[in-house]
Amino acid sequence: MASLLEANNLTKSYGDTLALAKVTFTISDGVTGLLGPNGAGKSTAIKLFLGLLQPSEGSAEVLGERPYENVEVRARLGYMPEHDCLPTAVTASEFLTYMAQVSGLPPAYARTRAADILRHVGLDEVRYRSIGEYSTGMVQRVKLAQALVHDPVVVMLDEPTAGLDPAGRDEMLDLIRRTGCDFGISIVLSTHLMGDVESTCDRIIVLEAGQVVQEGEVSGFTRETETVYIEVVDHHDEVMAALAQRGIKAEPYIASIAVQEVGDAEYDLIRDALAESGARLRSLGPRRHRLTEIFRDGGP
Amino acid sequence: MTESDGQLFDLGYQHYEGPREGRMRARKALFVNGVRTSLGLGRSTTAKLLPFAFFAAIMAPAILLALGASTIGDTLTPGAELPGHADYYQIVSLLILIFSAIIAPELLCSDRRNRVLSLYMVRPLTSTDYVAGRWVAFFAITILLVYAGQIVLLLGLVLGADEPLTYLKDNWLDIPRFLAAGAIVALLTTTIPLAVAGFTSRRAIASVFVIGLFVVTISVANILVECKEHDVTIVNGQVVEERCEPLTGSAAKWLGLIDIGSAPIHLSDMIFDKEADEQLGIEVAKLNNVYPVLWYLLWILGPGLVLLARYRRMSP
Repeated sequence: MASLLEANNLTKSYGDTLALAKVTFTISDGVTGLLGPNGAGKSTAIKLFLGLLQPSEGSAEVLGERPYENVEVRARLGYMPEHDCLPTAVTASEFLTYMAQVSGLPPAYARTRAADILRHVGLDEVRYRSIGEYSTGMVQRVKLAQALVHDPVVVMLDEPTAGLDPAGRDEMLDLIRRTGCDFGISIVLSTHLMGDVESTCDRIIVLEAGQVVQEGEVSGFTRETETVYIEVVDHHDEVMAALAQRGIKAEPYIASIAVQEVGDAEYDLIRDALAESGARLRSLGPRRHRLTEIFRDGGP
Repeated sequence: MTESDGQLFDLGYQHYEGPREGRMRARKALFVNGVRTSLGLGRSTTAKLLPFAFFAAIMAPAILLALGASTIGDTLTPGAELPGHADYYQIVSLLILIFSAIIAPELLCSDRRNRVLSLYMVRPLTSTDYVAGRWVAFFAITILLVYAGQIVLLLGLVLGADEPLTYLKDNWLDIPRFLAAGAIVALLTTTIPLAVAGFTSRRAIASVFVIGLFVVTISVANILVECKEHDVTIVNGQVVEERCEPLTGSAAKWLGLIDIGSAPIHLSDMIFDKEADEQLGIEVAKLNNVYPVLWYLLWILGPGLVLLARYRRMSP
């Protein structure tokens, strides 16, 4: 995969506060999550890649160029900020047409692109209404649309689900997935919500206190921690005892029983233990750990 | 019932394959948007009302003078003249200042209030491009406004003359003069309101500050150059000499410069080679021409550089 974004010993400090400390990583095609708590350096990293900030040391390169020095490369970048950033007195159609032109598209093409993108984000019916009349979910869609209107190579989304209700959040995540998969636009998703990363991203870079603490494929993180969960209707304790008798390490996990490191032989033993205990089985099967569980437990 | 032959296809997302014109297109878009925002185009009727009301108010004196020149110009007593090109900017300067103070801040304040600036700065634009785009847009509107009045006046004077071609041949120099003086007026009335707007996201605050600045400086300057003693010599019922001893003595010619709004009018008087007819202008005219020019340049370059520096430091 081609490298789109590259951080080399990237450092950014605000006075005495170190926001990013000599981080080195690359971001390639696909959907990449920048995960970390507030103050981890995610937004700073995005602003450095967009050329909004100058690195204190090291370099932030996008498509082989340094956007702080070469503004032309920004024509191929998209950005959806976390904060409100839309004028309220104009229509979505007019605003997107204008933003496409500010990204370098001629007026006639800009109008067509604006109409297309508003259709893709599901706002074509309301495109001639003032943005001030939109709901929070619709405003978030306009924010995403303005980031996509000029067909960028890579788009950076800063907390795109912030302030949305559960239904709005699901719709936004679906839109992000479609942008990455169907539209073929690479995405860098900055968030502190692991659920957002898990449901949309291929890769993950975890930042904490200005440093990269972990990075890799999302599927890799969860595969390494495969666990079998047994859910029984009754005889819970008898199942635990029968498993222990067979030398299988099992732990109660919420309403079920979790068995770590299960291979083919262990499946036979679990079957025998269930039969012996007389428990009525509701479900049995592997489930990947959620990212929240991985990071809560101190990493994979 | 007829059946349609048409079919609908969902082509899905299509990548953009058209031209990309980069930074130059971005600058043009910014300029056009600035002009539209200033005039309220693409906005509600209320948004259009104010700029067009000002436009009408600034044009009104030009229309009246043009009508006057073509109807009563010949009936005036010898020595009496209707105000012409040299006087027009002084007549409408207050209106132009208020127009700029109210309209210009909208170009910068609304972008910062709505935090749209972060979207501009991630596109192929620098902060200097942004400020320059907004500045040029408002300068273009102001200069069109001031020139429109002068052109209407010129048409009135030419068409009202007994021999229009002769009038034009004798007075052609007025055209480059009002073009130059108009540019000088527009430069100041564009730069100061925009520089003030760079420090607040509230248009009303910027407007009140700019109007206050012009009102306070004109009031202070007029008080300082006011005549302590005023002697008038009259011969055969006609005023032949007026002597005025300003309150602040010989310093009055310098203190007259305090009135920022009159800074371009002093230069306009120089361009038209016109003698000032009010006390403040008379006092400033006693200075060497270099000083009013330098003072004017200071009020253009100072706020202009402050505005640029402000946006360079600003992190969206």
